[in-house]
This record gives sequence, C-alpha cells and structure tokens, in this order.
Amino acid sequence: MHRAAHTALCDWPQFVRPAMIRQSLRCTGSLQTSSRAYSVIPPPRDREEEEMMHRMLRVDHAGEYGANRIYAGQMAVLGRSRTGPLIQQMWDQEKKHLAKFNEILAENRVRPTALLPLWNLAGFALGASTALLGKEGAMACTVAVEESISEHYNSQIRALMESDPERYTELLQMIKEFRDDEMDHHDTGLEHDAESLPGYWLLKNAIQLGCKAAIYVSQRV
Amino acid sequence: MAALLRGLRAGRLLRGLPSVVAAPASTNQQCSSLRRSFHCAALRLQDESKSDKSSASSSSSSSSSTTHHEHYQAHSSHQDTEAASQQDPDPNSSDREQDEEYETEEQLQAQILAAALEFVPLYGWSMEAIAAGAESLGLSSASTGMFPNGSGDLVLHFISQCNSKLTEILAEQHNQVQLGQAERKKTADFLRDAVETRLRMYIPYIETWPQAMSILLLPHNIPDSLKHLSTMVDDIWYYAGDRSTDMNWYTKRAVLTGLYNTTELVMLQDSSPDFKDTWAFLDNRIQDVVNMATTAKQMQSTGEAVAQGLMGAAVTLKNLTGLNQKR
Repeated sequence: MHRAAHTALCDWPQFVRPAMIRQSLRCTGSLQTSSRAYSVIPPPRDREEEEMMHRMLRVDHAGEYGANRIYAGQMAVLGRSRTGPLIQQMWDQEKKHLAKFNEILAENRVRPTALLPLWNLAGFALGASTALLGKEGAMACTVAVEESISEHYNSQIRALMESDPERYTELLQMIKEFRDDEMDHHDTGLEHDAESLPGYWLLKNAIQLGCKAAIYVSQRV
Repeated sequence: MAALLRGLRAGRLLRGLPSVVAAPASTNQQCSSLRRSFHCAALRLQDESKSDKSSASSSSSSSSSTTHHEHYQAHSSHQDTEAASQQDPDPNSSDREQDEEYETEEQLQAQILAAALEFVPLYGWSMEAIAAGAESLGLSSASTGMFPNGSGDLVLHFISQCNSKLTEILAEQHNQVQLGQAERKKTADFLRDAVETRLRMYIPYIETWPQAMSILLLPHNIPDSLKHLSTMVDDIWYYAGDRSTDMNWYTKRAVLTGLYNTTELVMLQDSSPDFKDTWAFLDNRIQDVVNMATTAKQMQSTGEAVAQGLMGAAVTLKNLTGLNQKR
C-alpha cells in the first residue's frame, strides 16, 4: 500500500509530461492559425450540423457583400453631396461586418456562394440607380434592404435559439450585434426622409422581394 | 440419471435463450446479437457440461444420503450463480473477440476492400478481387453480396484512402512549418509536391488504373468521384494557405482540378523511369498557371494606368475648352 502510493507519486510526472507537451503544442498551433484564441463557431458535431452552419454563414456573407456593394453604388452617385458622410459612415460599418464574415468563412473552410459576381453587379446597380433618384431614393433603398437583412438575421437567431442556445452563444451574440447595427441603419434611413419619396411603398416592396429571392438562392448555390 | 439431469439443464438453457435474444433484439444489430447469444449459449452449455462432469464426480464422492432432487436443487442454484456470473463476462468476452475484427458493418466492408486491394494487380478492379480479399481474411467469397456496386466501391474506397493519406501528410508538413522546423514552401512548389505525392500513390496500380478511371466515369459513380476530387482539391489549397472568400476560391480550385486531371492522364501513358516525364509535364503546367496569373495582374495594372491617363486627358480637354469653369 505504501509502496503503491510511493510509485504512484513518482510515476505521475511520466504520465503528465507527455500530455502537457502535447497540449502545449496543440495550443501554440491553434493560436498561430487564428488571431484569436477562441472561435465563434463551435466545431461541428456531425455532417448535418456542418451543412446547416455552412449554409447560414454562406448566405450571411453574401448578404454583407451585397450590402457593401449597394453602399458603394450609393457613394458613387451621392459621394460628393451632403449625404455623402452619412452614407460613408454606414458603409464603414458594413465593411467591418464583411471583414468579420470573411474571417469566419476562411477559418471554417466554408465555400462562398458562386453568385458573388452577380451580387457585385446587382448591388452596385441597385445602389447607384436608387441614389440617382436623390437622397430620398438612397434612404428608401437603405430602409428596404436593412429591413430585409434584419428580418433574415432574426429568423437565424430564432433557429439557433430553438436548436441549442448554449452551444451557439458566441455566434448568437455576433448575429445580434450585427442585427442591431442593421436596425440602426434602417432607423437612420427613416430619419432622413426615406418615406417622402414618391412611390416609396412600391420601391420598398420591390427591393424586399429581390432581397428575399437573393437570400433564397444564395443558401442553395 | 445423469442424462436426465443434462436434459433438464438443456431445457432450462433453452428457456433462458429467448430472454437473451429478446433483450438485444430491440437494437438494429439483430444478426450480431443472435450470433452473440448463440455464442453465449454454446459457452454456457460447454461450461454446464464441464460442471456436470465435476458434479458427477462430486456426487459420487458425496454421501449418498442426499437425494438426487436435493442435489439437483443445490447444483442448479450453484449453476444459476455460475451462469449469472458467467452471463456478464460471457457477452463481454465474445464482444471483445468480435471487436478485434469489426464493430460495424462499415468497418467490415472497409477491411474486406483493404484486403482486396492486394489482389487488384491480379484480377483488376472487379468482384473477383473483392472475393479474393474476403477469402484472404477467412470470410466466404459470398461476402461480395455486401457490395452491390462492387468495382465502384473498391475504387472509391482506394481513392478516399489516398485522400486521407494525403491530408495526413499535408497536415504534418503544416505542423512542421508552424513549429518553425521547416520553411514555408512557395505556392507553386507546394502544389507541385502535393500533386506529385498524391499521384505517386497510384504507381503500384498503374497497370490497372485506366480501368479504375473508366469505372469512376460510370454515371452512378460520378457524384462520389466528383465529391472525392473536390474535397482533395479543397484540402490541398487549404494547406497551401488559400483563405480566399470570393471568386478566387472557385478559380483556384478549377485550375488545380485541371492540373491534377491532365497530369493523371499523362501519367497513364508515361513509360519513362520513375515517371519523370509526368513530373516534368506537371512542372510546365504549373509554370503556365503562374505565368497566366502574372500576366493577368500586369494587364490589370496596365488597364488602371490607361484609365487614369484617359481621365487626365479628358480633364485637360475640358479645361482647354473652358467647360470646367464654375459660374
């Protein structure tokens, strides 16, 4: 009994040291591959969850990319007007969102949607054409797009909460933060006379229909 | 008398059997559980017969005053505890025996296919190779019934095995670079080495590889073979350091797929020593890709310079004609 305890005390470094070395190697490896020591997305449990997660990230990335291009189109037309700084400010926030999604996609090896060139052209065209209607047109476009995006983020938050809130805490926090930013843009658009555009209701619904179609397609392709 | 006792014990055994079968029957692995239960039953019968012999010897040595019935009762209780204690280790030991061979049907299939690969140079990628592989493991050649898409299964299994090996090698190299024990390779060199490593895995089967490629092109095999190809290309680019999230993701993978497929075809009809013509072809193609990328970049910067020049000329013209004045 005494000898057993003695050997146990002497032997435990033999077991702990290799495990510690392995652990430290793993830690340095992961720290070097990502700039943060944690990841927003939990490692997938199975194929199904991986598919679901990748689809979500793909469509969110496409959405932020499209929003980016819309603001770029608006700036191309209204950049030197009075609303230029306002649009620039909203655009900078979207750039931050896109950078974050780029990081997540690269880390988790998610395939980006193949329709990105289409969203590039369509987004820029939408932003530029609504900006040609004047400041109210640009604001109306902003209101419509941001409302669609917020609705989309809300449905994703609902889906994640329904499946497993604890598992997706960081992801939920990130999506909630982005959704709040988009709602801010929506409110800013309303504040700056979006509704005073003639044909506002028609334009808004047309844009929202287009956004819904874009989301549907980006999830699948 | 002893025969009567044996008969009674066998009857009790048969009564115990349905309970053993009914319990695991609720799981999906009915065959294996039945096999296990029969195994248990066989072991128990064996043990009972052994203890029967010992009981016969002990009964002869014990006093004859005990009636056979009492002796049977005492012995049956002894047998019950023995059986109860044996019931727990018995399934475990038979499980352990079978664990060494396989746990699921998929593992068994993988083992048979792995054994069949040795017979591919002899029989080609066919059912005969699978049958020979099954027989080499001690199973009957009727196990080919497990593979309705026999030759396709064999080729796809081999390909996924090659892909796993490649991923292991690439991950190991990646770790070495992370730990600072190796230098980071340039992208062109990395791609060349990765494709060469992967194609070298075909060398033992190069005689029969045309047959394998034609099997992969059969319509029912195309989805799986495309999936394996795309995961392999994605892995290679990931370890080469590609983290793009735009159209480059697609163009890079398309380029590497083209590289890999053409080099594979060249390898099939290459008769130079150690396939050095194939590796030379691969080098040239990679150089082509690098040249194209450089040319594209140069064209883009030239185009930007030209656009700037034109804008400058237009502004100068406007100034000269007086159209640019603010009134």
